[in-house]
Amino acid sequence: MSHALARGLLSAALLTPATTFAADDAEIAELRTMLNQMKNDYERRIADLEARLERAERAASQPPPTAPMPAESLPMAAPVVHAAPQSPPTGGLGALTSGTAFNPQISVILDGNYYHDGIDGRGATLVGEAFRPGRTLHAHEEETDSAHAHGMTGNGFNLRSAEIAFSATVDPYFDAFTYLAIDGDGNVDLEEAYFRTRSLPYGLKVKGGKFLSDFGYINRQHPHQWDFVDQNLPYLNLLGDHGLQDTGLQLTWLPELPFYALLGVEALQGDQEVFGATLSETEQVELSLGDTEDGPRLWTAFAKVAPELPDNHALQLGISYAHADQHQAVLAHEHATEAEGDEVGAHEDAQAPDIEPHETGLAGDAALWGIDLVYKYSGDGPHGQGDLVFQTEYLRLIQDLQVRASPHPEDIGARPSFTTDGLYAQATYGFAPKWTAGLRYDVLGLTTNQVRDTLSEDFGSSDRWTLALTWNLSEFSRLRAQYARNDILVEPGERERFDAFYLQFLMSLGAHGAHPF
Amino acid sequence: MSQPSASLIREPGDPGPDGLQSRPAIQTKRAWSRAPRHLARVLAALLALAAAPALALDVIATAPSLGALARAVAGDRAHLKVLAPPDRDLHRLQAKPSMMRDLRAADLVLALGAELESGWLPVAISNAANPKILPGRPGYFEAAAQVDLLDAGGRADRSLGDVHPLGNPHLDLDPVRMARVGRALAERLASIDPAGADAYRRGAQSFAAQVEERIAGWSRRLAGAPGAVLYHRDAVYLLERFGVPLLGTIEPIPGVPPTGRQLSELANRLKGGKGIILYAPYQSPQAPRTLARELGWQARALPLEPPANADGSGYLDHIGRWVDALAVAP
Repeated sequence: MSHALARGLLSAALLTPATTFAADDAEIAELRTMLNQMKNDYERRIADLEARLERAERAASQPPPTAPMPAESLPMAAPVVHAAPQSPPTGGLGALTSGTAFNPQISVILDGNYYHDGIDGRGATLVGEAFRPGRTLHAHEEETDSAHAHGMTGNGFNLRSAEIAFSATVDPYFDAFTYLAIDGDGNVDLEEAYFRTRSLPYGLKVKGGKFLSDFGYINRQHPHQWDFVDQNLPYLNLLGDHGLQDTGLQLTWLPELPFYALLGVEALQGDQEVFGATLSETEQVELSLGDTEDGPRLWTAFAKVAPELPDNHALQLGISYAHADQHQAVLAHEHATEAEGDEVGAHEDAQAPDIEPHETGLAGDAALWGIDLVYKYSGDGPHGQGDLVFQTEYLRLIQDLQVRASPHPEDIGARPSFTTDGLYAQATYGFAPKWTAGLRYDVLGLTTNQVRDTLSEDFGSSDRWTLALTWNLSEFSRLRAQYARNDILVEPGERERFDAFYLQFLMSLGAHGAHPF
Repeated sequence: MSQPSASLIREPGDPGPDGLQSRPAIQTKRAWSRAPRHLARVLAALLALAAAPALALDVIATAPSLGALARAVAGDRAHLKVLAPPDRDLHRLQAKPSMMRDLRAADLVLALGAELESGWLPVAISNAANPKILPGRPGYFEAAAQVDLLDAGGRADRSLGDVHPLGNPHLDLDPVRMARVGRALAERLASIDPAGADAYRRGAQSFAAQVEERIAGWSRRLAGAPGAVLYHRDAVYLLERFGVPLLGTIEPIPGVPPTGRQLSELANRLKGGKGIILYAPYQSPQAPRTLARELGWQARALPLEPPANADGSGYLDHIGRWVDALAVAP
């Protein structure tokens, strides 16, 4: 207050003579600059004095002079305990506690959308059910009936998820992470809950718990990290809605080399819905598939390499392999549509209505190969302008199964092999500050979508073009519009072609997240 | 129950229940366990030999200014690598595999800190699988933790933009604070590599002396400088050091570009005064140029960081360029 008063007095004292003499413009300008200088000088001194006073007060209010902190470093993002002198002194409380400083970092990400497609909202589910031979579709139908926890997207407004993330350093040996996803209906899904070692030597790291596998590139990303609203066709159809997410252990090794190379293996339980799926006990008995074996039943190995490139460029190549020791499938077919009267007549249950589905039970193992490439260029514009990301992955699934149960007894013991591959390629470019445009092409059955038995049959592919426009208002909020042209193979010889449109919002609350490459 | 079993009370050397002497068995076992240790020693010796020419510490700096400081303090005793190019925004960098490769073998990481690098450095460090450089260990050094920060203690409310209640992290434009950071760095280097303690302290001392030497001249040049408009509060440490008034920021709040109205309000407020408009190369030039046109001032893009290969005097030349810009404002 004295500050303002002093300033007022000073300007009054200086301004009065200046106006009375009514000097010429040049003089006035000169006086004004002098005045400004004096004012600045004065303000500076007052600020100095205030700062000194504040320092003196702070020193007086802190009984023991705390040791100077130079020797310590502030952890980057964790709450900082020794920043406490900034907060009001705890003198009156009578107890010193670390309060909330040990709480994990918490963040919440809200992910909602408006969706519309030309086929009554079935499109968002359909893209994950593109036809490939050897897939158990029957399980999906059941799930649909019981309001499955994936937060089905339909025409209109959808809240896909509120994802809650906790992370903290447990002790000198471990970090731990937990990610919960709550969908629009309130169903809670534990996406990840794992620990990771901090202190192993030789570039080794062990991760354990439930986590997203490091198979491929996009598998590890949570939906809010994707550059498009929805997952690509190969991942959706070969690995399912959650990708390769399982419980187990991971070991990675980052050797000291002149370039980046990461090698890793995982042993996973194999509780999967799509790749390495096992069926319910009743089905296992009915279709003589055998019990679910002891875990771990799913194994992965991956290698990622990044060459040294000039500043602002980054490239990573990866190759991944996953093997499911046990995979069970049940395939249903209806003879009514085939209308092969003589064959139907050969059945014992010929009296049954023709629409009765015939179930074939298959058991065996499954293997998945993946190749990925990611290139990123960091542009020199403001807020991501000029940034370019190109990303592509190829997946190939091979299921070697044996027929264990069939209404056609002659088929039992046959060993069909089902192979489906897929690819996606996408690019995003920051065309203006805070704005990116993305283009994606994804296809299931790029070269192969076949069953090979005594004879082989190829069923063709499903594919899609997607355009996305993303507005990153800040580091914490993002809006996106997306349009896709879908051509999905629903049944052999039967296609659905439709347009799908999304408007999405992503809001990030709480701790400032960091994302790996 | 009443009599303990023979094997439990057996003395070493007594024949075991199967009639074998247990002592030789133990000795064989010991010999076996020694073998890998010998092997490890031989390997370690080989590794030491292989590493002998590269006696220098592997130091990774996030910002070129910290790289320059480390060169000034450690000289040839450190093998230095700077992660961020000088013309990119340190806050918006992305973790890249090559960073993890560099961090994997690092003895020391230098960060500006106070959450400036929080979008990429923690994840890069965590994925580098190098326990030496984890925050809290001697191999992790944050400049912001060595000096007092400006703008600290603000409200943690993101409606005020991308705020950092820990304090303004851009302390590297203040040569005096950097000299202080240099001394702390010398102590840290000395604790990691005691053999070089004297060299590090000498390096920090001579850097501080260089700063001292030039600061008087800079103060003289900047006495009465009319002030500057910045895009973001990133050069406030420099302005505060030399008492140059900050006339305004183009962003109304951190991380949020101005609207046309906010810009014209700023122009109206500054009309008739003198000053210069300074912005970093990665900040949008439109708003600064518009403001410059309206005020008849000069708008200049100046990097916040010295060139990536700068040493101590390279850093001081960089400060010199800022001083020149602030001093010559019409």
